[in-house]
Amino acid sequence: MATPAARLRTDVALPEQRGGAVGLKRMLGSDYRLGFIFVSPMVVLVLALVAYPFCYAIYLSMTQKFVGMPPVFVGLENYIRLASDGFFQRAVVNSFVFTFASVVGKLGLGMLMALVLTSQIRFRSLFTGLLLIPWVAPTVVSALNFLWIYDGSLGVLNYLLVKVFRILPQGVGWLSEPGTAMASVIFVNIWRGFPFFGISFLAGMKSIPAEMYEAASVDGANVLQRFRHVTLPGIRNILIIVILLSTIWTFNDFAIVYILTKGGPGGATQVLPVFAYEMAFGAQRLGEAIAVALYMLPGLAFVIILLARYMRRGQAR
Amino acid sequence: MSKSAIERLQTGIAYGFLSILLLLVLFPFYWMTITSFKNEDQMRSLVSMFWPSPAVLENYYQLLTKTDFTIWFRNSAVVAVSSTLLATAIGTIGAYALARLRFLGRAFLSSTVLITYLVPPAILFIPLYAQIRTLGLSDSLAGLIATYPSFTVPFVTWLLMGYFESIPVELEEAAMIDGATRFRAFRVIILPLAAPGLLAAGLYAFTQAWNEFLYALVFITDVKQRTLPVGISGFITGDVYGWGYLMAGAVLTTLPVILVYIYLQKYMVEGLTAGGVKG
Repeated sequence: MATPAARLRTDVALPEQRGGAVGLKRMLGSDYRLGFIFVSPMVVLVLALVAYPFCYAIYLSMTQKFVGMPPVFVGLENYIRLASDGFFQRAVVNSFVFTFASVVGKLGLGMLMALVLTSQIRFRSLFTGLLLIPWVAPTVVSALNFLWIYDGSLGVLNYLLVKVFRILPQGVGWLSEPGTAMASVIFVNIWRGFPFFGISFLAGMKSIPAEMYEAASVDGANVLQRFRHVTLPGIRNILIIVILLSTIWTFNDFAIVYILTKGGPGGATQVLPVFAYEMAFGAQRLGEAIAVALYMLPGLAFVIILLARYMRRGQAR
Repeated sequence: MSKSAIERLQTGIAYGFLSILLLLVLFPFYWMTITSFKNEDQMRSLVSMFWPSPAVLENYYQLLTKTDFTIWFRNSAVVAVSSTLLATAIGTIGAYALARLRFLGRAFLSSTVLITYLVPPAILFIPLYAQIRTLGLSDSLAGLIATYPSFTVPFVTWLLMGYFESIPVELEEAAMIDGATRFRAFRVIILPLAAPGLLAAGLYAFTQAWNEFLYALVFITDVKQRTLPVGISGFITGDVYGWGYLMAGAVLTTLPVILVYIYLQKYMVEGLTAGGVKG
């Protein structure tokens, strides 16, 4: 496998190597000593903070565990009980609605943002910077801002719609009415996430050579045709990566729903991460709460593996 | 229509959409800021909605003197800075090894880092909570400093792997031909060249740690040990919301991140995609 260059590097790095060392190197790789030293903190960290908790989670999900008490093994009982639990079923449906609508919304606004920022406008980098702010600002702050904007009696949204534009006869309890709560929460998630879509698409569009557009124009393609046949194929990989990444993040978003509604009113915005939190720290049923989280696992694992393949391909380029 | 007219129309449409997007994005921050300068009478009477009249500092005064805000600010700073330093150190050497060194398990580890970055906290927070409790680290900032690297290290590592790969390998080879060891080549040649990348990665990690909510909410119950996001969101649990000082708190929580961001912006446009999509 070793190319001449790699062999040269090995010889240069350690001129004093002897027979035994050569054998070890053939087995463990030419830079194994420094390599092992350099990755060991990371390996310890991943084992302690991700791998171990993950395995422990699988075990705990098969127990009945209350805070401060030893777990009692119950097999798949938690999973079976959850499957017929109406609140859980509702949270599953809500999670899918929340994720799907959010991702579609972010895709649309993100594309709009990227197209605006690639057209002939002045102060482009200033506007790019401003449009990215929701993505950098703390999620909790944004959620609190919208909690205040949506406020039923003193909120500015009702003020605008009722007093200024006179679209509505009276104020709406955006977050307290089942009919509007989900849409209101989804809007905040879109608001926070679309700049990431926009900036990623923008980077992708910048890497498309201008000649491609010129050639398409010469062939008589109009704006829409150029978008359809030059822009979209050009950012295809980024499009897939961003959608998958955002699907993971949105499905697991906790802060926005927790702060705005805590899953209410009456479970109308209950999503799985908040449901798991309330089961663990409200009802103190840790085993079942982890089972809630782990129900997401097969789907999540599928998306992660798919995404990892695309991202590695992106980095290799 | 002539060609230039079509172009002018396109530019006009672009400015139209740009204005809508800017209004959408900036209004909540504008609203947060002016609310923080309104007094309670003005807020309740719905007069002069879009400008504070009179503009007062009493919300800030109340926030800084009558709540635990300054303690939370300090806690957030301690947690974010410590976990960032830890993550950047671990991530830098890890990324260098994965990007440049040849050793058994390198490809497997690279995949693991990426997958770890993608595993969401919503899966891990309950078992981590149990672990933190067992170790006696619940209700302490140490528990947060120890757990935040679970998301910052994979992120920093992934980001820096790309960065190290972009530095020409010939530079190290030249140093080693001159007799430097691999470690010395890394320390003397590569680290200084990678400094801007390290700084950017560290600042990203800082904002992630500064903004983190779920772990801080779960691992900490003592009010005095809270970080800013949990602290200010705690203002809403009462029936009477102090919107004025809550928004003042929101302004002061956002400010450090925005300052970091202004500095980082030149990396952002290219870097965020590297940070988010590629790593």
